[in-house]
Amino acid sequence: MLTKLTQWSRLKSPWILHLNTGACNACDIEVVAALTPRFDVERFGILLKATPRHADVIVCTGPATRQMKDRLIRIYEQTPDPKFVIAVGACAMSGCVYRGAYNVIGGIDQVIPVDVYVPGCPVRPDAVIDGVVKLLNKLKG
Amino acid sequence: MNDQTLIDKAKASLGDKVLDITNPAPRRIFIKLKVDDLLAAVNWLKNEMGFTHLATITGVDLGQAFELIYHFANSFTCVNLRTEIPRDNPLLPSICQLIPGAVLYERELQDMFGIVVQNIPDGRPLVLPDDWPAGNYPLRKDWKYERPPEVIPGGKR
Amino acid sequence: MKFQIPIGPQHPALKEPISLRMTVEGEIIRDADIRLGYNHRGLEKLAEQKTWIQNIYLTERICGICSHSHTTCYVQGVEKLMELEPPKRGLYIRTLVAELERVHSHLLWLGVAGHEAGFDSFFMYTWRDREIVMDILEIITGNRVHYGINTIGGVRRDLDEQQIKHILDSLSVLRQRSEYYKHLGTNEPSFVARLAGVGYLSREDAIALCAVGPTLRASGVPMDVRKDDPYAVYDEVPFEVCTAETGDVLGRTVVRIKELFQCYNIIEYLLKNLPSGPVAVRAPRRAKPNEVVSRYEAPRGENIHYIKSNGTDKPERLKVRAPTLGNYAATIKMLKNGFIADVPLIFAAIDPCICCAERAVSLVDARTGQEKIIVMNDLKRLSRRLSAGNIRKREAEWPL
Repeated sequence: MLTKLTQWSRLKSPWILHLNTGACNACDIEVVAALTPRFDVERFGILLKATPRHADVIVCTGPATRQMKDRLIRIYEQTPDPKFVIAVGACAMSGCVYRGAYNVIGGIDQVIPVDVYVPGCPVRPDAVIDGVVKLLNKLKG
Repeated sequence: MNDQTLIDKAKASLGDKVLDITNPAPRRIFIKLKVDDLLAAVNWLKNEMGFTHLATITGVDLGQAFELIYHFANSFTCVNLRTEIPRDNPLLPSICQLIPGAVLYERELQDMFGIVVQNIPDGRPLVLPDDWPAGNYPLRKDWKYERPPEVIPGGKR
Repeated sequence: MKFQIPIGPQHPALKEPISLRMTVEGEIIRDADIRLGYNHRGLEKLAEQKTWIQNIYLTERICGICSHSHTTCYVQGVEKLMELEPPKRGLYIRTLVAELERVHSHLLWLGVAGHEAGFDSFFMYTWRDREIVMDILEIITGNRVHYGINTIGGVRRDLDEQQIKHILDSLSVLRQRSEYYKHLGTNEPSFVARLAGVGYLSREDAIALCAVGPTLRASGVPMDVRKDDPYAVYDEVPFEVCTAETGDVLGRTVVRIKELFQCYNIIEYLLKNLPSGPVAVRAPRRAKPNEVVSRYEAPRGENIHYIKSNGTDKPERLKVRAPTLGNYAATIKMLKNGFIADVPLIFAAIDPCICCAERAVSLVDARTGQEKIIVMNDLKRLSRRLSAGNIRKREAEWPL
């Protein structure tokens, strides 16, 4: 009963924290565009939150840069459990064109565990919504 | 004023300080100088010719020396002052007294090439991470980067 | 009593990682400092290991908002190195995409400015209309953000009659909407009151600190690379350089709204006078040893690339100076003697694109002057620890 209740409450209204770890802004703009009237994720109860303390899902864009690495870990630790990470864009998945640059460690998964990968360079807002929905389906079963 | 009058004026005012002057394309003038004459030339450009906008400072590693190009622009042309400093003694005078907006570009030069900018008002690192090992200057040609092996989360399947 | 307040790298007001450190006296900022490097990826080194063609796609990914400006700047430099003359139609299409990008970027900025000023419906409106531009760009180029339309020697896709008609139709909608924003942005009393006088930058300071783009033009300096150093087909297209005299955030808003209308005129002119012919010429794989300085007016200001070739198929050096880096020194000046509450607004007003410019939060203990780098939320922990030694009246009664 209790597990059912917690599962149900986790499924509703995932609040997301958008974190740029060195992205080129394209994915960030598309994540923000997903909030605006054309795509409007708020109708699903998905809200963009400003602080990691309020968030359930961290939406990471961009390759992890060396300078951001420690901050990324700290932000991950500040997010309350249960927490999930969505890597948005090719950079967050593997580094994309920046693979091999001296200040880039690679994808987000080199630093923190990732639950869902959303491919695309940059991702479309529809793909971001799809990623969040896939995450919710994963939680369901 | 066009490019030719500017070239003539540069030859007249700077005299033998100018080592070489080229005009490879319209609105692009390259003036080569000794590093000691740099401040005088910037002063001349700014106060007499009215070039107040410094677009950026480019550093190039030539092997034995560093080449520095100061890109100035105004409403009709783009003047590039070129100078060279030896690699084993990379000292460069700061132009921040004349152009305060140059400080970020000079800090970037310090980070990327290990050039020592003298009299810089603020010489802290700008772009490289906090844990960057000292003595590594990424844009030097002999600096190579080895990518550390990546871990594949969940293992390779 | 002076305090240092850190903002960033993760902060609700900043969409991208950057760290600002402000010395405040009460509410007033006395000094500001910027730490970059959170978004530094080492692109200039990477470009030396890639071929000329590969670098088009690398420079495109410098920035997601002004992606076309970086590729155009790079490509027109490489064309000069390779002594290529791109066909007229190719240049027209390149300019068309550039102007559409300027429209999308300015609409985006207007929305962000509205958001930072607490006018969220303005944000939603402009971003809804931005989707019209994104649709046009998707139809022309096939992509929403990284268009991938530039290639060395021209562009990769041609326009047909149907697309031209679609763009002209959408343009009339956009023009109508922009009239409304012009009215709103300059007449809505609370919005104007929030923007006027904030982040003042005098004409002299703007020139001395090498500000670029709308920030400079809002201080009354009519400097625009499109007019001063015409590239592509800007010497044929009639347009005006928009300026404002106020030098504050309101001026920057006005400049951008005015530029929107100029963009619509340019787009219309380009579509009506589109010449026929091929869109690209074949490019060689190598470039002779030479160097070139390429300038471009991006939505945020002057974009400058220095490219040096060494006779191989890879560049010897690619130096990128994005407009935002040119504006930082001016931003620090604007922040000084302003209020903390204005920081997001002033910072948004230069339209910062940190990823372009690059390519912790710091706390100074006022008593010891010792500097520590900590994150925003560590501040709380630290304050708790610092206050732990203080004798507190735990059992004290609440005065009310």
